[in-house]
Amino acid sequence: MEKRMNQGQCRWGRILLAAVLMVFLAAATTVAKEAVIIFHAGSLTVPLAQIEKEFEAQNPDLDIQREAGGSTKMARMISELHKPADIMASADYKVIEKTLMPKYADWNIRFATNRLVLCYTDQSRFADEITKDNWFDILAREKVVWGHSDPNLDPCGYRSLMVLQLAEIFYNQKGLYDRLIANRPEANVRPKSVELVSLLKTGHMDYAWEYRSVAVQHELKFVELDDHINLGNYAYDDFYKQANVKVSGKKPGTWITRTGQSCTYGVTMVKESPNPKGAERFMTYLLDPEGGMKVLESMGQPPFIPCRVASEAELKTLPASLQKLAIVNP
Amino acid sequence: MSKTTDDALPLPPPGSGRRRVDPFLGIALAASAIIMAFILLPLVEMVVQPSLEDLRETWSDPDVIRAIGMSLYTSGTAALIAFVFGTPFAYLMARKHFPGKRLVESVVDLPIMIPHPVVGIALLSMAGRHHWFGRILDQLNIQIMGTVTGIVCVLTFVGLPFYINAVKTGFEAVPARLETVSRSLGASPWSTFFRITLPLAWRSMLVGLIMCMARAVSEFGAVVIVAYHPMVAPVMIYERFTAYGLKYSQPVAVGLIMVCLVLFLLLRWASPRKGGIA
Repeated sequence: MEKRMNQGQCRWGRILLAAVLMVFLAAATTVAKEAVIIFHAGSLTVPLAQIEKEFEAQNPDLDIQREAGGSTKMARMISELHKPADIMASADYKVIEKTLMPKYADWNIRFATNRLVLCYTDQSRFADEITKDNWFDILAREKVVWGHSDPNLDPCGYRSLMVLQLAEIFYNQKGLYDRLIANRPEANVRPKSVELVSLLKTGHMDYAWEYRSVAVQHELKFVELDDHINLGNYAYDDFYKQANVKVSGKKPGTWITRTGQSCTYGVTMVKESPNPKGAERFMTYLLDPEGGMKVLESMGQPPFIPCRVASEAELKTLPASLQKLAIVNP
Repeated sequence: MSKTTDDALPLPPPGSGRRRVDPFLGIALAASAIIMAFILLPLVEMVVQPSLEDLRETWSDPDVIRAIGMSLYTSGTAALIAFVFGTPFAYLMARKHFPGKRLVESVVDLPIMIPHPVVGIALLSMAGRHHWFGRILDQLNIQIMGTVTGIVCVLTFVGLPFYINAVKTGFEAVPARLETVSRSLGASPWSTFFRITLPLAWRSMLVGLIMCMARAVSEFGAVVIVAYHPMVAPVMIYERFTAYGLKYSQPVAVGLIMVCLVLFLLLRWASPRKGGIA
């Protein structure tokens, strides 16, 4: 009797062991893919998710792992926290220039533009009234809840404040900036601009400052602003220069000043990263006019085709496969 | 002396110079040492890494003081709400038996296993103006997003099971017959509760409050979704870590640990160690 019981238990034990081993083997084969780690701006999430899918379909041996956040925050994670990353894609190419170069990156490719719009839903207060000529009056009204992202962590945050400063100059309304900020309690500031989208959609917020591409991707209504103030047209760079925002520096209590400029997205490969070969393959796909750039265009984010570097010298520092995709445009 | 009794009893053989350590006790001690090391090593590392200058600079920062204060205030309020609403509920669960009781007990335990951001997202979705409940809140002028109210809501949600389970056990340890005797002598249910049950179970209520407040003070995932500002200490620690680095977030963490340690030691000290009911 005992012998039979032992045999039965033995058999079940072996089956269980085999099952566990199979699960581990399956897990191991998925782990065997090479990872490429990309830190990127929150506003690039939707297009990069699509690009990732297309790239992984063509390159099954690579596993793209993305982490999104305010570009300033993501760049600091590389420079201060030394978190491993292969590629950094920023909503402001100046973030790469100031935070990552020269120690963590050698070059900086400008690959896309964007512009700021005021987003809302049809449930927002005064949604039926708002136009590009009265938005600053509506944002100052008492019950209206509007917000932007944290200027210290996210370029969209300081760009939103720049839009308000430029609006004060352009519409010739002294004190407009202060009046608007007075109607924006700190609770309406979020670390990442795309978080504002969910607040809009649940009705916690009436208006939020977002990139036009994000508004299109999330099917939000938005108010288009004059080119003088929406930071979208590099022809108006001299006008944009009038806006200045103080953001936090490397340690609490220190500050640096960001000056207004048209929204230019930058991308680079991080030096001494875990998988430079995989990163180069992804970059080639991203900057290909028929590849990643096409996806960006289709999702409402105008790309620079071809992408740009600042000087001949910088072009020479690019990896060979990327050199033919870029041009010099100071 | 037969061999079998030797193996059963952990006595050293007579005349031997050394004490033979009982393997069972040995394993228990080894496991305890590993656990203590596992818990203490990272905490000790975090406490000793910042320099005294870093600590002084951070602890005199008004933002940091406000964040730690906000943490204590919101978790204390959550514990209070758990006390007011959880005590009658725990009493009911301890005394009454009804069909579906196991289901109710499992529901009470749900907040423990729900991922923390899910709690925040669920509350935020319900409280928005696009939801019928949110519209009611809006009429009553109750704000959830970015307010202390919202923070206290999520902290109560995550802390309730800890309080309820601790107090339920406490009430179960009070023999029902004592209450029956009290009732048979003419005391009302109120009187019985306050004069018989409460004095015997108050220690478990205190432990429940400590557990609830401890759980609430450490909550991050749910709070950061509902309210980034006003900042509670865990949110500030995370923000400083991502914005400035380890050097600037560690002192805040040390501050919070010290304050909580003092608080919980005081509470434990206020409930003198004693055996169960005489």
